[in-house]
Amino acid sequence: MDKLCSIREAIGSVPDGAMIALGGNTLNRAPMEAVLEIVRQGKKHLRLIKTAGGLDVDLLSLGECLDSVDAGFISMETEYGLAQHYRRAVQSGSVRANEHACYTVISALRAGAYGIPFMPVRGLQISDLRKVNDYFADVKDPFGGETLAAVKALRPDVAVIHVQQADARGNAVIDGPKYDDILMSRAAKRVILTAETIVGDGFFSRNEVKADIPHFMVSHVVRARLGAFPGSCFGAYGPDDRTIRKYAELENADGLRAMIGEGGGV
Amino acid sequence: MIRPCDMMTVSLARLIRDGETVFHGVSSHMPMIAVLLAKKLHAPNAVHLNIPGGVDPAEPELQSWTSAGGELWQTACAALPLQEVFDLSMRGGLDVAFLSGVQFDQHGRVNASVIGDYHRPKVRLPGGAGSAVLIPTAKRAILWRTKHDKRTFTEKLDFVTAQGHVSDIVTPLCCFTMHEGELILKSIHPYSSLEEVAANTGFPIRYFSADFTPEPTAEEMRALREIDPRDLRNLEFR
Repeated sequence: MDKLCSIREAIGSVPDGAMIALGGNTLNRAPMEAVLEIVRQGKKHLRLIKTAGGLDVDLLSLGECLDSVDAGFISMETEYGLAQHYRRAVQSGSVRANEHACYTVISALRAGAYGIPFMPVRGLQISDLRKVNDYFADVKDPFGGETLAAVKALRPDVAVIHVQQADARGNAVIDGPKYDDILMSRAAKRVILTAETIVGDGFFSRNEVKADIPHFMVSHVVRARLGAFPGSCFGAYGPDDRTIRKYAELENADGLRAMIGEGGGV
Repeated sequence: MIRPCDMMTVSLARLIRDGETVFHGVSSHMPMIAVLLAKKLHAPNAVHLNIPGGVDPAEPELQSWTSAGGELWQTACAALPLQEVFDLSMRGGLDVAFLSGVQFDQHGRVNASVIGDYHRPKVRLPGGAGSAVLIPTAKRAILWRTKHDKRTFTEKLDFVTAQGHVSDIVTPLCCFTMHEGELILKSIHPYSSLEEVAANTGFPIRYFSADFTPEPTAEEMRALREIDPRDLRNLEFR
């Protein structure tokens, strides 16, 4: 089945209020073209899942698309500094920060992928994060009696992942660091792929290297050259300093929409 | 003149022992460079673990905008993605985790989450990343912070993001170490003084002997410049 479509159609399939997981890590291979399309379409009340987010979470906060963010870390790392739009949105109360340890996002996604309600985790029980968040609880080891922290499963409605290569059916390969994307693809109910390159049918069947994400998990495939811009994409391009700094200077959702336009990229 | 970024990076590197498994995360240029320095000098068999999952990247071309990018993957010898680095720590196999935060108390507890109330924060911080599970499960958590003032080293934290096996904290002024659950002053950097450390710390300073941290050697500085020709160890001070 050919799942190639426009970014507009792919993101159009995501309803307001959906739980959405984003691939990549900080400025590395985040699905930025999809993120900007979410802003263009004015999606609301999304519940975002990410281990370590950066510009993606920041722009979705500025675009007023989010209700909550479940993540371990949100920043653009040291050179570009704090995610100020996200920070202001949390401080004003418009976005709820559900702070995790990065590993508890992974554990929650594993529970989702394994089809079980929670995952026990060591160490977290002595953090204040355990006390103030209702997605953590205590759980007793039924065999040894030890008390551990339990992390509630996350089963995202959709994972949006940017890859270097995909075919039209949705088989996809991630070059270089895969971060938590493979797990996200399993935990989510479906996957939207954006891909630098669309390879021909049978490419993976003929190739020694097999796809990381199999087609049957994928609902939409979008050809997206520079789909991680202005972040980086391994093996293809680094981050774009000028654009990242321009985003940081924006003041509100209208400014962001004016900058990214109605249809095309920036 | 000794720069704080060089003194801190060298101090972090000296804490790594040969053969140890060592992890650093995002926003971590200084410990990333410290791991590469330790491996080049006294700890060639230390195992360098990181977020992209590249084990022991060889002479990576460091990037200014990330400490979790493909450069740590490209020249690595094996793949151990972040999920599995955490698993390693959970089963007791991670020797050292490098982490940071915004507030620290005299018991080595860390706040990287909020200033003010958790649910309605005055300031939302980036979050503790791996801290809440790595500080209690790694054998030693080594912390660094490029600010040393009374708001950073304080008696009362707004929030305890993580606590557990903190062993050392390196700042621009000094090295702290943990002794029987209390942070004690281990050494003062050569350009600082006991008075300066005490005046900038929000809890009473305790120590056995307040020696000076040995200056970076010529060999350490030469190796640092080779590993980090773009001076990214100074990024947090720019």
